[in-house]
Amino acid sequence: MTDEPSGRNLDGDAPVAEAVVETEEATITEDAELERTIGLTGGLAIGIGTMIGAGIFVFPGLAGGEIGTAASASFAVGGLIALLVALPTSELATAMPRSGGGYYFISRGLGTLAGTVIGLSLWLGLVFATAFYLVGLGYYALDALAQVGVTVGVGTDALVSAIAVFAGVAFTVLNVTGTENAAKLQNAIVALLLSMLVAFLGYGLLEAFGFVAVDTPPGQAVDVWEAVPILSVAALVFTSYLGFAQVATVAGEMKDPGRNLPLAMVGSVLIVTVLYVLTIFIATNIFTRDALLSAGETAMVEVGRALLGPAGALVIIVGGLLATMSSANASILSTSRAIYGVSKDALLPRWASRINLRYGTPHVALGMAGGPVIVLAATGQVQLLAEVASFLHLIMYGLMCVALVAIRRDRPEWYDPDFVVPGGPVVPVLGALASFGLIAFMDRLSIAVGVAVIAVTAGWYFYYARDVSLKGAL
Amino acid sequence: MTRVLVPVAVLERESVSPGLISLLGTVDVTLLGYHVLPEQTPPDQARLQFEERATAALEDLREDFAAAGGEADHRLVFTRDREQTVQRVAAEVDADAFAVTGAVGDVDRLLVSLSGDVDVDRVLSFVERLVGDREVGVTLFLAAGAGSPADAAADAPEGTAPDDADRARLEAAADRLREAGVEATTELAESGSPFDALIDAAAGHDAVVMAERAPSFRSLVFGDEGERVAAASVGPVIVVRDAESDASAAGTRTGREE
Repeated sequence: MTDEPSGRNLDGDAPVAEAVVETEEATITEDAELERTIGLTGGLAIGIGTMIGAGIFVFPGLAGGEIGTAASASFAVGGLIALLVALPTSELATAMPRSGGGYYFISRGLGTLAGTVIGLSLWLGLVFATAFYLVGLGYYALDALAQVGVTVGVGTDALVSAIAVFAGVAFTVLNVTGTENAAKLQNAIVALLLSMLVAFLGYGLLEAFGFVAVDTPPGQAVDVWEAVPILSVAALVFTSYLGFAQVATVAGEMKDPGRNLPLAMVGSVLIVTVLYVLTIFIATNIFTRDALLSAGETAMVEVGRALLGPAGALVIIVGGLLATMSSANASILSTSRAIYGVSKDALLPRWASRINLRYGTPHVALGMAGGPVIVLAATGQVQLLAEVASFLHLIMYGLMCVALVAIRRDRPEWYDPDFVVPGGPVVPVLGALASFGLIAFMDRLSIAVGVAVIAVTAGWYFYYARDVSLKGAL
Repeated sequence: MTRVLVPVAVLERESVSPGLISLLGTVDVTLLGYHVLPEQTPPDQARLQFEERATAALEDLREDFAAAGGEADHRLVFTRDREQTVQRVAAEVDADAFAVTGAVGDVDRLLVSLSGDVDVDRVLSFVERLVGDREVGVTLFLAAGAGSPADAAADAPEGTAPDDADRARLEAAADRLREAGVEATTELAESGSPFDALIDAAAGHDAVVMAERAPSFRSLVFGDEGERVAAASVGPVIVVRDAESDASAAGTRTGREE
């Protein structure tokens, strides 16, 4: 097994490889240093900020509408799978604290074909996820308009798509031209969201256990406590958990990565799982299935109204707007890192990661993120977008678990993780089985689209980067 | 040996004025080329693309510094937080001070601020080494009431006449410099804000030397004091590092392969 990546792509470029020294404060290359500037709070904000967005504000209506209170179990299943993947990811990330995340681990652990497929489908998976967040944003913006008295009678779907497309263009342009550091803003938004949710959930729990009485609309439909519906809803809502692995894409920028990476990943999964399960529990407690179903994507607004009156509805609308925006923005940022990781290894043309000196931003990569996002957002297909995003991520999550087992077996000389998942191969094997297993419960169409994306990325490998070898390199 | 860290945003076309280069001719210099990145940009990506031209620019600057007298080396850092980088590298190279670049010609006269709770001994010994045997005059500056930690604002109401302790402190400092062969005068600002008084006093001088102070609420809101003085006075500012921050930063230092 070689230590260096080798081979050339169709353009004749070889992967960039240099000896680097990682310290807790910086990455030191031959001629330069890269400062590590993200602390534990920043890492948690990336994880929570990406995850909490659309999932909690868009899915209660869809998931609760299908199986009622049993949807809490779906979210718990999703959280468990996320945790099973977050632990192996943490081990890999502390051994390879580089930008690129899942792509990096899989290309090193399983070789170039798997790496190309995952690198490119991570990019496209993020594109699908971002489009989903933007459509969610569209629904909330529409509700906000309704709240201030602007009602739109006809063409609701078209308007949602229009808002989503507009937001997609705005985010892309802002990311290319904005040199202000939005990280602090992101932290503040996450803190605000968390406090709003905690207050809201606290009140909701009081209601659920009968301390406060709220008029719950009448309904007849009963909850569906059966394994298959619960798992298929889990497959749908798993998009709410795409985010903890995004922490790994900024692994190269985390201070003290050996400690902060595992804490940020596992911590953010635990926090959002608790919030999700409680939210669904409360939402399905107040409304029965049919009521949730008719309220649709913004059912949470009605839940807020039922609990706290117009103020509650307003809180949820503002929260929904902020959350979907922060998810979309964080995902666009991760996308440009995913593209960079692939392009550095010569699996995409080198120009894909160019930076313009005027703004100092990777405009090509951001364009490659924003362009397809806008096209997909225009479709307005919430369920399809969410499931394809989940599909592509779940493939990556499963393969990350496999990569961990493979790397542990091969034991390259450099492999020395600060954090080791206890229990030998049990957790990664369960994580892989759970990730792949969940895919089986998805909608047929979503699976077909996902498989098509994978096939195209594999085709790209055979066309462009067949001769590049990455396995086992650092 | 005395070492001064000179942070330069090379890729933003920042340079170092000839006056500052010759002023630092008596000491060793570490040039810290840095580039602050927006969060959209992975640092490694920026490094791949800009490393070469940044290093070339730093190498040119390094030669200018070496020609002026002292030893000079350079480092290049891609970061999102300039302050964190300056502090880390200053601790790693064990720098006595860091400079904030500014426009200046030949330096004939330095303004040395002793206001606030600063390690006067450390500042003066740095100034002695910086001036060396050159014909550079020094004005020692102290804002009244900002003399020592004991007479904090509560004890000394605004507008009181500068007390004798402040004057004595200034004179003692001036005597010490004169003994070392440095021409020194004193200036005591009697009232008003210490910051404004310092900026007013800086007008007749080519560069300012001041001591680093613990981060305060004001520095959080308005930015680092050295930066603010440099912005207001246009000329370069040399900030003498605190012995304590030196020690604490050195404690967290991690192994760097040479």
